[in-house]
Amino acid sequence: MTTATMNKADLMAPTVAQTMQQRSLVIGVLGAIASVVGAVKAPESFYSAYLTVFMLGLGLSLGCMAVLMLYHLVGGAWGTVIRRIMEAGMMTLPLMAVLFVPILLNLARLYAWARPEDLAKDPKLADIAHTYLNFNGTLTRAIIYFALWIGMAFLLNRWSTAQDSAEAKDQSTLRFRALSAPGLVIYSLTISFAVIDWVMSLQARWISTIYGLIFIAGQALAAFCFAVLIESILGKRKPMSEYLKPTEVHDHGKFMLAFVMVWAYFNFSQWLIIWAGNLPEEIPWFMRRMQGGWGTVGVFLAIFHFAVPFALLLSRQFKRRAGSLVWLASWLILMRIVDLWWHIEPSASLHHDTVHVSWTFFAVLAGIGGLWMAYFFRNLRARPLLAVYAPQTLRLLEPSHE
Amino acid sequence: MSESSVYGLMAEFDSAQELVKAAHKTHDAGYKKIDAFSPFPVEGLADAIGFRKNMVPFVVLVGGIIGGLSGYLLQYYVAVMTYPVNVGGRPYHSWPSFIIVTFEMTILFAGLSAVFGMLALNGLPMPYHPVFNVAEFAKASENKFFLVVFSSDPKYDGARTREFLKGLAPRAISEVPS
Repeated sequence: MTTATMNKADLMAPTVAQTMQQRSLVIGVLGAIASVVGAVKAPESFYSAYLTVFMLGLGLSLGCMAVLMLYHLVGGAWGTVIRRIMEAGMMTLPLMAVLFVPILLNLARLYAWARPEDLAKDPKLADIAHTYLNFNGTLTRAIIYFALWIGMAFLLNRWSTAQDSAEAKDQSTLRFRALSAPGLVIYSLTISFAVIDWVMSLQARWISTIYGLIFIAGQALAAFCFAVLIESILGKRKPMSEYLKPTEVHDHGKFMLAFVMVWAYFNFSQWLIIWAGNLPEEIPWFMRRMQGGWGTVGVFLAIFHFAVPFALLLSRQFKRRAGSLVWLASWLILMRIVDLWWHIEPSASLHHDTVHVSWTFFAVLAGIGGLWMAYFFRNLRARPLLAVYAPQTLRLLEPSHE
Repeated sequence: MSESSVYGLMAEFDSAQELVKAAHKTHDAGYKKIDAFSPFPVEGLADAIGFRKNMVPFVVLVGGIIGGLSGYLLQYYVAVMTYPVNVGGRPYHSWPSFIIVTFEMTILFAGLSAVFGMLALNGLPMPYHPVFNVAEFAKASENKFFLVVFSSDPKYDGARTREFLKGLAPRAISEVPS
């Protein structure tokens, strides 16, 4: 495919995207109905499941945004080929903002700091709840987070759409970079505060300074795994089969390896420091996660979220084939769910010790997951799979030496 | 000149594409011991001369494993066997605190293996190389592209190989004395 013959119609997503969108929507709607039933019938298990899946969806959206910003800053063909996938992913943020409302309206079901009876027992927690962790504070901060995220995503996306028309041909990539540099800083700060509000405060008296970074690593990993998953579907068909080369898949595999390692590095740092310090205010979080079956889940994560993927991703051949890489990418997305569940469920259900998965979890997973995917495919199908007149696209479509 | 004192035949080309094409044809013609030289990295050239797999990743893996093991075992030897110190009642074999040094040693040994493994596999340092006996070869670092068929190739035959290289339309063919 040369630049001369390339046009917008050639670059639209194949019909499989429409099929996927319709199926996702059906799954999403059925899941949403089941979730409503779950919220009514089994509220004690529903809300922690909801929070877990919400964090997964939010992590994918924000991970896509962060990867896109990284691409705007450092460039490279690896990003040009998945740019529209990342943009479609981050533009699901409005859905995540709406999906946050049920959490906000049911704070007392999740957080001790929102329950007056718990505050009465713990004066220090009452202090924290009075100054920071309370409904108004959570609402205000959530509005700030989502306004910043959606604002940045909206701008990056609109400028990207402008690159689809010929008039934008001479436009530089400067404004993308000008937003992405502070954007990455804003993202890391806001997500750190957001996970303090929504996840870390489940165990309100426990503090870890590396907590936000663990989530950032997980979100970036999820975004790259998601990109590999989508490119394994679209890469077999035109137009992506024309421009997706093993080199780019290889790069995505390298990013997966990097973020698998970063995820393990942050988690291990947290574990090592708390283990070495052995202080009564720090260890309860891990004590809780070593009791019952949670210890097994933790070891399972160390092996299957880190060790095995790490060993597989060392192989060059493995990383270069989308067909093999996609299996690990799908597996790692599953591991992201387990990891989030391991972060949230033990703190949310302090009253029972055994590990159990309620049916409501699968209902919410189908509901939020289906709606997210349907929204994603809707966004993806709205525009060509490459930003047609972006300078990087022109470079991508030029043969490398002739 | 007897054939044993000949290192090979060198063909000179004007462009990277010509070199890649010629290298492909030479390799397809059954010559396996060939090498190509260019002023800059040329995509597809390594493929063309039949250079598919290099051993550096394997060397790095082995280096990394040796580094990690030695890091861990050194700490184990010191903290458990020769000089056990009770730190806050923790077991002598406190593996979490061994991980950092193990990790760093893995990186260090893997990194050093990458550098020295690459040099060794390239046969570097190499103070003498016969190709420099051909005066024109100096242009390999400027604007010319060279293909060499080694005389050690089983298919090599002074006159016939020269004929074959002529068919690739090079700018010049020179014999490389060893």
